[in-house]
Amino acid sequence: MSKLPPALTVYIVIMALFLVAPIVVVVIAAFTSGDFITFPPQSFSVRWFDKVLSDPEFISPLWNSVRLGATATIVASALAVPAAMALVRGNVRRRRLIESLLLAPLSLPTIILAVGLLFFTAQIGLGASFTSLVIGHVVIVIPYVLRTVLGVYMSANHEAEDAAKVLGANPLQAFWHVTLPTIWPGILAGGIFAFLMSFDEVAVSILLSNTDTTPLPVSILSYLVYNYDPSVAAISTIQIAIVILVLLILERVFGIRNVMFASR
Amino acid sequence: MAILSSPAEPAHPVASRGGIRRLPLGLLPALIFLAVFFAAPLLINLLESLRGPGETHSLAQFARIFGDAYYLTVIGQTLLFGLVVTLACALLGYPLGYAVARTEGTFKVVLIFLVVTPLLVNVVVRSFGWLVILGGNGAINAGMRALGLPKLNLIYNWTGVGIAMVHVLLPFMALSVAGTLETLDRRIEEAARVLGAPPHRLFWHVTLPMSAQGLITGSILCFTLSIGSFVTALLLGKNSTMVLPLLIYQQLTVASDWPFAAAMGVTLLILVSAILWLQGRLVGEPRGRP
Repeated sequence: MSKLPPALTVYIVIMALFLVAPIVVVVIAAFTSGDFITFPPQSFSVRWFDKVLSDPEFISPLWNSVRLGATATIVASALAVPAAMALVRGNVRRRRLIESLLLAPLSLPTIILAVGLLFFTAQIGLGASFTSLVIGHVVIVIPYVLRTVLGVYMSANHEAEDAAKVLGANPLQAFWHVTLPTIWPGILAGGIFAFLMSFDEVAVSILLSNTDTTPLPVSILSYLVYNYDPSVAAISTIQIAIVILVLLILERVFGIRNVMFASR
Repeated sequence: MAILSSPAEPAHPVASRGGIRRLPLGLLPALIFLAVFFAAPLLINLLESLRGPGETHSLAQFARIFGDAYYLTVIGQTLLFGLVVTLACALLGYPLGYAVARTEGTFKVVLIFLVVTPLLVNVVVRSFGWLVILGGNGAINAGMRALGLPKLNLIYNWTGVGIAMVHVLLPFMALSVAGTLETLDRRIEEAARVLGAPPHRLFWHVTLPMSAQGLITGSILCFTLSIGSFVTALLLGKNSTMVLPLLIYQQLTVASDWPFAAAMGVTLLILVSAILWLQGRLVGEPRGRP
């Protein structure tokens, strides 16, 4: 902290308060014992957590979100890892162009993708189903896995890989025993980030889900439109807890600064 | 290490000889997936927007948008809102990104956590948090009441949506600026300092120009994300702060007018593409969100 000018340090403290304010407020409001959301609460209890954790209206969306995030992350990794490897080591012409194409979903507001996918899935008969949700989320999270794996693989030492091949390993063996251990941290970090992005996504989720597949953010959103009681604060707190837990894992596994700045 | 070789000249002799030539096959699954589930839906969206009565094509849906003062106003305020939010993010986010880049050790990790955590907490949850803070019976108005001051109307108007939107986008700006500052050659700043530049001149003439790319990338990112997001406007603005993506959402879910929603989607797509093209002109290829 010593290197920053004092004025900047004060500013950072104010910004930190601004950044955490809506999160902290939700967490505190969730522990109220009253029937309404008041801030600060008059007295504290965990009754709203009890209510939410035994209420299928919240628990099944939470489970839907986890399932959706995990499925989308696995499919996206299966697509992005070979692509990243081909981009780095393959003799790819127009590498830059292909890379931009693969990263293009990052630049597009998800509502546009969601609308297009709504028409498309309706036409091919998938409609609002879990498969449609997975498809939409895979498109959105492919770039996150691709970028981290690209970052790791580009700065990796490729001589061991070549040596394995020279010594007679077939491509699959070389991948499994040499390449995969090298890029594993990148896959893990990109995958965790992809999961968090899927967990956070609203536009595709809201347009392509049905009553059985509603992801958590959509159920919180629709609950908020009609109700304003502390159970929504409790389920939000659970969502926040999951995110922070996953972030801490990310920090332990990979170092969070590497994830944020590994892209280029 | 020079890993990035030019396409014509592979850095690794083995790579050009052996089975590696098959590796570009690795690109096919991802490219095909995105062609089918990313490019095709956008194309279908375009076709849907051009659908006329029967089997014909027409620009009628676009005429509806651009011939109506209400829709033009919504487009205008979407862009203006994006601009104001982006400016606020640039002003507030630059020092934050600077601090992230120029600290070390535990404090740096804490700062990154501070910036990244809000980014990953769901936007619905964050909007809800702002409702609790800014609402009629919220934290701020509780304080105002305690001080005997009049109630502030901070939600269901542009103020509330603006505050919440800046909160959503500030991390993107901070990370973008930090990313550029991280890669700066500190020796240039050191040289300016040794040669006697006072801190403010050092900042205006060296640090800021050298980090302009991060600032521009962050701004474009904030702008495109802000004109494309509807959750904040939905929850904190109700119907008093109409923006284009919220209108699209309502046309789909409430009015069920698909061709009209598609036309508005295409309009938004064109706006975003124009901005990304501008970014290409300003800083080279887009870097995407962190």
